[in-house]
Amino acid sequence: FLHLRGHKTLRKHCTEKYHNITTWTSKLCLFFPISTQTCHTELHAGQYYTLPPAHMRTLFPHGLPPRFQMQMKTFNEACVMVRQPALELITCLRKADYSEPALRYVLYGEKGCGKTLSLCHVLHFCSTQGWLVLHIPDAHLWVKNCRELLPSSSRPGRFDQPIQALNWLKNFKTTNEHFLSKIKTTQRYVWTKRESTEEGRPLGELVDQGVSRVKSSSDVVGALLRELRLQAGGAAEGAFRLAVAVDGVNALWGKTTLKKEDKSEVLPEELTLIHNLRKMLRNDWCGGAILTTLSQTGSLFKPRSAYLPMELLGEEGFDNMDPFVPIPVSNYSDKEFESCYLYYLDRNWLQHPHSRTEDGKKELIFLSSRNPSILERLCAFL
Amino acid sequence: MAIYQDSIRVQDCFGTLHKRAGPSPPAVSFPVGRAAYSLGLTASNGVERQGLPERGNQGQRRQRRAVEPRTERMTVDQDWTAVYPTAASFKPNSVPLPVRMGYPVKRGVPPAKKGNLELIKIPNFLHLTPEAIKKHCEALKPFCTEWPAALDSDAKCEEHFPIQVESKAYVSAGPSLRNPNARIITLTVKLSSLNLDEHARKKLIRLSGERYNKDTDTLTITTDSCPMKQQNYDYAMYLLTVLYHESWKTEAWEKEKTRADMEEYVWEDSPSQKNILETLLRMRPLGEKEEEGEVREELLGRVEVQEYKDSVTKLKNEGETETNMQQYKEAVKKLLNI
Repeated sequence: FLHLRGHKTLRKHCTEKYHNITTWTSKLCLFFPISTQTCHTELHAGQYYTLPPAHMRTLFPHGLPPRFQMQMKTFNEACVMVRQPALELITCLRKADYSEPALRYVLYGEKGCGKTLSLCHVLHFCSTQGWLVLHIPDAHLWVKNCRELLPSSSRPGRFDQPIQALNWLKNFKTTNEHFLSKIKTTQRYVWTKRESTEEGRPLGELVDQGVSRVKSSSDVVGALLRELRLQAGGAAEGAFRLAVAVDGVNALWGKTTLKKEDKSEVLPEELTLIHNLRKMLRNDWCGGAILTTLSQTGSLFKPRSAYLPMELLGEEGFDNMDPFVPIPVSNYSDKEFESCYLYYLDRNWLQHPHSRTEDGKKELIFLSSRNPSILERLCAFL
Repeated sequence: MAIYQDSIRVQDCFGTLHKRAGPSPPAVSFPVGRAAYSLGLTASNGVERQGLPERGNQGQRRQRRAVEPRTERMTVDQDWTAVYPTAASFKPNSVPLPVRMGYPVKRGVPPAKKGNLELIKIPNFLHLTPEAIKKHCEALKPFCTEWPAALDSDAKCEEHFPIQVESKAYVSAGPSLRNPNARIITLTVKLSSLNLDEHARKKLIRLSGERYNKDTDTLTITTDSCPMKQQNYDYAMYLLTVLYHESWKTEAWEKEKTRADMEEYVWEDSPSQKNILETLLRMRPLGEKEEEGEVREELLGRVEVQEYKDSVTKLKNEGETETNMQQYKEAVKKLLNI
């Protein structure tokens, strides 16, 4: 149901104060609760919907863009615009056949267009449908600025990143608490001479092992990924669907800035976390979907203007990800811009009197060229 | 004394003017010495230099009288080749154009042409107007033969004479008649007019390196290593012959050409093909009686797979654009039944 939150009073309020705004229509700036999320269709494009705070805390301990988190804190609610790329992804996910190998989707677009937020929207949809969400918030964080790089205990040529693995395991635990007791391991894992995880133990134990024993956390991540891959979409009663979401997937096939002790560069394959994640992104498992985003923002050695998949993924990346469905994310359309503008007005975010006039709106359109992140930054000043 | 001098001055002016124009005025007697010095005084100069002729008498400086610039007497339909028959520097009084050149003074305009050093410094082509060139051509015609009537279009020239040789001859007056730049020969040929198969064409392009222009499909060989033009021409023809014959040969080590050496992307045996075959096989697992080879062939023959192949080849060869990406997306969607 569409719950119009004080729509009539809002309209009157607006027509009194902002009589310049003639484009106020009833279609825009409607807020509706979470239960209708499953029936998002093309009609809802451009409208905002609120995510309940309880969901936000569990689902997104680490996934949201930092500016959106600030906005959430300011407005005291998480309001996301329903946009066409996310809708397209959701329709594909609904229609897909989960007995076939996992499909790969790549969201690409210019900087600040809303790729990460679209991904979060889709992940929210997945979690409401009861999927297990495996969210790597930014793969670039795993290939740069790593203080501790330990040689791997299990394999001679590889390197572990205990801190990153630990952080990620903690966040994974928060997100998927209810799954951890249901899924069981299928194999015995030996960590050290004294510690091992037996077959048939719940996954929660595996995760706790990683959290408590920091040195083996990267291997734990590898084991976790393997377990999930084997068990997703199985015919057993505990079957679940797996959504693998990687933001900044071009980091996996790019260069790293990490150096070994003899100052030679570390290749991405030599990092345990990256190696295991690459295995995850292959479509040799069924019962889920792989949702990825390309990101130039954190990328290493890529020019600022690169945004197309082949530019950012490179030859190797493209060959590995192929075949995938590329989904372009663009700047706001007219309707979406209207919606965003009215949302900010409604929240009293635009304080400057000139910004509330038609001229002010045209200025905003011109200055931001309808780019979501630039618009957000501009409005923060007003 | 001052009054007497003023009257002399006026008379001097009249005297000079009248001298040029026509019959002499009624004789005004003034001292001979003065007459000798007053010849050639211009109207303006007379005012300024009143003091000087008296002082500079000893130097006997002759000052030219002002002459009207030639431009005043030029008609619109004059023969320009007579004004500038050869390359000459810019003469402001011979060029009837109000040209301005140079950095403008503050809040002003670029300086005029009179006494403008900038215009004199630069090379000009006033001696090469179309009229002048027509006259040159007419003068050279007795030394030329007729253009063959059958070659009336570029295409026919290209067809009958695919190899074009350019050379320059220099004529100048100086201590020596020779010009070392005259030995350079440039030979251009289009590869489409040569008899080459795929392998030979790729090899020839690789051997010629920078000398090949992809857009116009021409090979350009420039030779200047020999001292004489004839020798350079022979060398250029030799190079062309060698390139042609060598490109037809296949060496033993050419078998080791890897994917990285290929000039353009070939979809067969690429990781993309392997991926798509694996995916399709996983989607439709092998039956008991079916053999893998047959299934592969069948899968590759499907229309969607061909479309996918086209889109990937286009992406890799032509580079990435939005349209290419859209095409790829459609192909993948059809293939994976989305």
